[in-house]
Amino acid sequence: MGHLSNDEFFVKLTELFDKKKGKDHGSIVLVQKRLSHDQPVPEPTSDAVLPDLHPPQPMPVLIRATNAKGKKRREDKVKLSTVVEPDALPAFFDRYAEVCKSGMATLKPRDRSKRKGKAKKKKGAAIPAGP
Amino acid sequence: MPYYATSQEWLHQSSLLLEARPTTTRITTKYHISKPKPRRSKKTPSTSSPTTSDTTTTTTTTTTAPRGSLTLKTYDPLSGSCLKYRTTKAAEVSRLIQSLGRPLGARMAALPLPEAADELMAEAPLAQGTPAEEKRGEDALPGGAAKGQVQTQTQTQTQTQQGQGQAGTGGGGGGKGKKKRGKK
Repeated sequence: MGHLSNDEFFVKLTELFDKKKGKDHGSIVLVQKRLSHDQPVPEPTSDAVLPDLHPPQPMPVLIRATNAKGKKRREDKVKLSTVVEPDALPAFFDRYAEVCKSGMATLKPRDRSKRKGKAKKKKGAAIPAGP
Repeated sequence: MPYYATSQEWLHQSSLLLEARPTTTRITTKYHISKPKPRRSKKTPSTSSPTTSDTTTTTTTTTTAPRGSLTLKTYDPLSGSCLKYRTTKAAEVSRLIQSLGRPLGARMAALPLPEAADELMAEAPLAQGTPAEEKRGEDALPGGAAKGQVQTQTQTQTQTQQGQGQAGTGGGGGGKGKKKRGKK
């Protein structure tokens, strides 16, 4: 399966997260790594033993997403991937963070503990208030 | 395979690993929803097995929503090093994903990092940077300080000149204070 464009990737990733909404189990796995396949990297020389440490030009980043279905449920497996060019990285990750934030709905929301504390204070006046 | 207690520590170590092995290191972000654990339901089957309504109510009261967790893993297959951080807080998601992009993704892409990020890395409180990293931080800091000094010197010079123009030779110090107040 070829790589999707960044926009298509976000659409499919949102769908992937939406499928998990309302489910009580499951996972979504996102992977990112430098795209090293078919990339021009100079041969190691005595001066630069590890040429990948300082490549002459910035390299694209590969982003993968799956719904973590194993071999037994291969037909249900969803695999998405896209390649982000270096100059598109900041914009991509801004949107990526948005999609992830709205998709990961079962994580603990921020305000819950504070609300609980306030409710307790209101109910039980005998409990001394915190600092 | 350590789990780090703070995301800063994870971020710092991951950044170092990426710096050392930028081609092979990958970052896995796993969002996992686990089934809610019915904690009180152990007693209910034995005591009130016929009344199914009881069991349902107890399970709903103990854990209503399924629990999600977010695990970040930086893994380099060549060296076998694996750094992990796990959280359940929704408030951290946005910042964590952003950090996947800005220091880490940029490093992966071999983009030149802005100096501010390096300084942050060097000043990370819990972390022990590599000598190279610390050196870079030290190099960067005196440069900035020197620049600041030069700027202040030029400022004071101009100020004293202005002060001399206004109030003669003795008014250098006073002129400084006045100028600063005026600027604010």
